[in-house]
Amino acid sequence: MSLFPLVGRKQPRMRVAWSLMNILLWLGIILHLIPFFIMISTSLKPAAEAMAMPPTLWPKNPTLVGWSLIWNISDIAKSLLSQPLSRYFLNSTLMTLGTIILSIPVTSLAAYATSKLIKGRATKPLFIFFIGTLMLPGIVTLIPSFLLTRNFPFPLPVPPNIPGTDIAFPTLRIWNTIWAVILPAGFSASNFLLFKGFFDGIPDSIINAARVDGGSEFNIFRRIIVPMSLPVYAVTTYFTFGGVWDSYLWPLVVIQDSAIAPLTLAIRRISDAFSGAGTTSTMTALGASSAIAPLVEQGLSWNGLMVLGLLQALPVFIFFIFAREYLLKGVRIQGLK
Amino acid sequence: MSSVTVENVSRQYYPLLGSSETRPVSGLVNVSMKIADGETVSVVGPSGCGKSTLLKVIAGLEPADSGRILYDKVDVTNISPQARGVGMVFQDYALYPSKEGEDNLSYYFEVRKKTEEEKQQRLKEVAELMGIGFDLLMGRQVDTLSGGEKQRVGIARCIVRDPNVFLMDEPISNLDAKLRERTRTEIKRLLKKFGITALYVTHDQQEAIFMGDRIAVMRAGQVVQFGTFDELYYSPVDLFVATLIGTPPMNVLPAEVQGQSLCIESVEMSLPLPPELVDKLPAGKLRLGVRPEGWLVNQAPTGGIPVVVTRVERLFTERAAFLGGQIGRLFVNALVALDFPAEVKQVFLTPDWTQAHFFAADSETAILTPGVPDLF
Repeated sequence: MSLFPLVGRKQPRMRVAWSLMNILLWLGIILHLIPFFIMISTSLKPAAEAMAMPPTLWPKNPTLVGWSLIWNISDIAKSLLSQPLSRYFLNSTLMTLGTIILSIPVTSLAAYATSKLIKGRATKPLFIFFIGTLMLPGIVTLIPSFLLTRNFPFPLPVPPNIPGTDIAFPTLRIWNTIWAVILPAGFSASNFLLFKGFFDGIPDSIINAARVDGGSEFNIFRRIIVPMSLPVYAVTTYFTFGGVWDSYLWPLVVIQDSAIAPLTLAIRRISDAFSGAGTTSTMTALGASSAIAPLVEQGLSWNGLMVLGLLQALPVFIFFIFAREYLLKGVRIQGLK
Repeated sequence: MSSVTVENVSRQYYPLLGSSETRPVSGLVNVSMKIADGETVSVVGPSGCGKSTLLKVIAGLEPADSGRILYDKVDVTNISPQARGVGMVFQDYALYPSKEGEDNLSYYFEVRKKTEEEKQQRLKEVAELMGIGFDLLMGRQVDTLSGGEKQRVGIARCIVRDPNVFLMDEPISNLDAKLRERTRTEIKRLLKKFGITALYVTHDQQEAIFMGDRIAVMRAGQVVQFGTFDELYYSPVDLFVATLIGTPPMNVLPAEVQGQSLCIESVEMSLPLPPELVDKLPAGKLRLGVRPEGWLVNQAPTGGIPVVVTRVERLFTERAAFLGGQIGRLFVNALVALDFPAEVKQVFLTPDWTQAHFFAADSETAILTPGVPDLF
């Protein structure tokens, strides 16, 4: 709204600018929606049509065969996926919820403490310590983090012995469990910054008023601060949700057992099988790979991969719809607009 | 209700690690003060003088580095604010924004685990006290209330608990002039009605005078003077108090006592001193302080200090006018009648010696002040 002044919009120059801006924004919206449209349309095509050249914009005979084949993929191609697809869904859900349940309280309490409770000389070093984790790209810490999941707190493949004995130090081993995904995400520096920015804006007098009223520090946080801060909670939960649900590299590194693998790993496995078999060329080449041969015979090609893509994207989308009001408020607060 | 005693309380702030300033900053320096049961004390001073810090230390929101705080005879220095049972009103209202008016008052009962009946009973009493239209505020979302309404809720939240001590941190400075007047009267009425021991922090001396039975003037973390308005007005301990209290401020002229007369330095002019002052004043340099109403204004040259009139400010509501002028390079104010002619370009001012203040030239200490007059 404020991009254009309220007064003087009817001037010809303003009108041209206004229309251009509209056209640009609509172009942006369409550009963003085209991939989704193609995903949906392809997911409703039969296998042959999904690979036809030139591609059709919308299937001639929409069918749900891709959806049903993907959902039962573990029955048809056991060697490709050992677990039913719902299992991977469940794993992803557990990891995501687990991370949210751990990370949001931990991060927000840390931010609240840094913002409102710890006064004096220690504040600044503490703050730098917290946001220090933002200063290294995640890829740099990937291997050390992986090693830490093997023998916490030693970043070593094998724990050292207690000096003077043959007994190895007791270590925490979370590698190849879902805790390897949840625990390292227990504190998020970017969410910490969002929380702290918001809490800094809350006047101290409100907290002092609650103290004088007799609220304990934790009660003040729970009953006064959290209800005031719902938008920022929505934003951080959304970021965490999206981040963990869509994470691929870290689960790939720390999770070996397919029974606990998240959906992203399963999708990658299926997608690799297809592209490895030369899905991009012809249907005949597809039949050559034994693992996916039964799938191809029953009519699965890129339509199935599109279904997987949609399944992966859907929860984040649904979350956004539900938390829309708070998210937009939160985004406004953070000045991201 | 209880009396409040502040004994030698000091409070220092340490700069953050890594900042260029390393020395601690004094918030309060050896502050002592005794507030009687049911008394209202105004704390006045420029910003940063420690008046809000004093309030927070009394409320327990900030620790005292040294010294003691007593409510009645009970030492509460190490008691948390939650347990002190004080009520506090803030400049920015500090209402809980996610709650409705009534919920703001309920929080106290919620955390104290009081029964619903007790709460309803108190809410009803408070609503009666707060007067007409207060019930309507209770049902409204806090962010839809106007400033004045917010502060009414803030005050109600404070009295709903029947506080030991009522602490107010510039409660009305965010309100517009008319509302300020009204809220001020309302607070005063409540304080009188309950006889609540109260501390009222403000930077506005008018407010301080109106609200306080006694006034504490603070400067740089210290209480400079603590007394009634008359004491502060007629016998200020130093130049700071003298110029802070009173609008327009006291006129201060560097002068020198030479035998029987006082030489005003900026105009090199001698005024004869009355004999009773000659005995009391030390010879040498000092500063003469005269309040605007302490001048004898003459339009004819009768031996007064010549003043070039720069403006005449008429206060129609007060039925008076202030005359602004210059003595040499110094600005002075004098109180004149409302119908003082505007075309006068020069007047002659003589201090009314019974109302003159004298301060040391090198320090700000008062040498001689008129003292509280016997009016009745």
